[in-house]
Amino acid sequence: MAPINLSHRRTHNLLLISKLLGLRDTASPFTLLLDSLEQPATPLIKEYIRRARLSKVHVTLIAFETLKQPDGVDTFVSARRKNPQDIAKEVGSASQVSTSSNSSRRRVIIIDSINPLLNSKTAGPAFHLPTFLSSFLVPPSPSAPKIETSLVVTYHQDVPSLPAQQPYSPSPFSLLTYLATTVITLHSFTHILAQKAARDRSLVAPVFGLEEEQDGVLLGRLDKVVGNKSAECVVLEMEHRRKSGRGVVEWYILPPASQYSPQQAKEVVTLLDDHPLYRPPEEPATGAEEEPESTFELRLTDRQRREREGVVLPYFDAQSGDGPGEGGRILYDMGEEDDFDEEEDEI
Amino acid sequence: MPTQPPLPPLLTPYVSSLPQSSLTLISSVLAATGNWLVLRYLYAALNTSSTFGINESDTSKRRKVVLVSFVRSWDFWKSEAKRLGLDLARLADKGQFAFVDGLSELFYSPAKAPAAPPTQSGAIPSRGLPIRSQPGAVPARSPAPAPGTGDNNLSTPTEKGVAKRLHFSGHGTTALDNLEKDIANVIGQLKSASGNEDDLDILLIIDQPDLLLAATGASKGIGATEMMEWVMGLQQHVGSTILTLSADSPLIHNASDSAHRQATPLEIEHAAFAVGSAHRARTVMQLRNLETGAARDVSGVLRLSKGGAWEGGESKGEGGWEEREVLYFIQRDGGVSVFGRGES
Repeated sequence: MAPINLSHRRTHNLLLISKLLGLRDTASPFTLLLDSLEQPATPLIKEYIRRARLSKVHVTLIAFETLKQPDGVDTFVSARRKNPQDIAKEVGSASQVSTSSNSSRRRVIIIDSINPLLNSKTAGPAFHLPTFLSSFLVPPSPSAPKIETSLVVTYHQDVPSLPAQQPYSPSPFSLLTYLATTVITLHSFTHILAQKAARDRSLVAPVFGLEEEQDGVLLGRLDKVVGNKSAECVVLEMEHRRKSGRGVVEWYILPPASQYSPQQAKEVVTLLDDHPLYRPPEEPATGAEEEPESTFELRLTDRQRREREGVVLPYFDAQSGDGPGEGGRILYDMGEEDDFDEEEDEI
Repeated sequence: MPTQPPLPPLLTPYVSSLPQSSLTLISSVLAATGNWLVLRYLYAALNTSSTFGINESDTSKRRKVVLVSFVRSWDFWKSEAKRLGLDLARLADKGQFAFVDGLSELFYSPAKAPAAPPTQSGAIPSRGLPIRSQPGAVPARSPAPAPGTGDNNLSTPTEKGVAKRLHFSGHGTTALDNLEKDIANVIGQLKSASGNEDDLDILLIIDQPDLLLAATGASKGIGATEMMEWVMGLQQHVGSTILTLSADSPLIHNASDSAHRQATPLEIEHAAFAVGSAHRARTVMQLRNLETGAARDVSGVLRLSKGGAWEGGESKGEGGWEEREVLYFIQRDGGVSVFGRGES
């Protein structure tokens, strides 16, 4: 497949990510964020909340590991020691209150970490993950006013999950990636740069943190090593499944929140390929394509080239087969610039 | 070597700034334990004579500390703190410090044995401690000071300085809730002692609660999620929390996908608890051995990193907090020097 050119991706995919992060048109009802200790999803969740506030979207946070209500969250539901049905009920009642009082017709439900729920021992065998998730998206009754709901779920990839109770059922992780309409995997920009630098030299890409498998190391991130602003950038690897079923894969960069104002409505996310550190701007293409300079004029003019192509070489004529000797004649039409040399041309 | 100041200058900004409702995770390995770091936190919080003049306002605010210890005894902490010039027993009398003993009678209550239901006295003590707890700390368990005061009422301290001895009873979350209630009571006593509850900053240190996870496990209905929720519950009672956990490679890496064998439930639960806590933590202090082998003048490596719950906005306000990696050396007298690589 031919690579889609950069300007096409710039227009279409940037539009797509701002639609996804801005929760517009329910482009993605269920977004799955895959993070790790090396790059937590906190900055991206903050970005979601920031954009939701700008466009007056009601924000509900289901907190499995957050203690304090963060800024910008309208409804904070602590999920500690609660069974899934109660959580769903609480979120549902919160939404009814919000829709009756508020005119906002869009809402986003953020789950800060789904892992505790998946590993929970108290949830019981009756717990069914797809039902739990879809209970947030499906309106409680058909008569209720239609609310556009988006669900954003964070899954920590490095937290091991228990083996499945039933051996034939898929793991919760594959279930989540199957259900999700958008999967965003987060990477640390410094790691991406280090891996790219290694790849460019055909070396084995380095690993960080838990993957190092070093005794006593949980986190490998050290922002001092890089020492510049780019360390705080977050790389988003997005896979969006359209309604038609076609998938779109793109890599983006989210700059740190300190680099733009909280009120900024203009898109801050850029393509990874457009970042100067990831792909340094190419120098104007000189030298590589030009032929070596010399004092002779080696190139042909257009007319010379045309005439050269017009020459019928002897072997073409030989193939017509007019008998021996006949086909090998050199046919030459004299041009006006040729001067006739008696001695040479009399043969 | 010269005597070291109780608080190494390089560490001072890290151990003395603990914002409200933050979680700090100290991860250690068998050969590089975190006791000394916990003691430095204790010192930073409790030492009122401001020997280090960095944040005068903080020291005058007077922190209170609750130390919940699961693998080390009261005697250990008392003697170690004394080497830093911190008299924990006296501070406990003054109501500034409380020690919760999770070691000596967690699965065993001698005085209550006749009254206790047979399942509790019969089944639980046989479980014992897991083998991977610190070698230096385990012997303190066998000569557990038998309370001579007859009836061991749960609310009265049996030994001077020990505010509470934890008893594990029951199953699953109810057992953890009981433990939480006991610890919350101690915190409440400390709060009420001061009278003014608003500007009080209580620091809770939970030392190696992974023992609880290892000793109970799935058969008791306790897993990583339940432990995390237990820690969250405790966090709600106090200002800031410090958690110490083991991060030895078998406990962390056997459960990952790259391991080529089936991980045991303990390995999975421990890894989930440790990694999950790191996700919840604001800062993570990782202690480990020197990769290049043992050295005479280096005890180990301390890596200070931002955890999963680090808030990006804070970094501007307190510019002093940056991730870094330092070496440390524990001298024979208990003094610790902390220095960067290549320095001394």
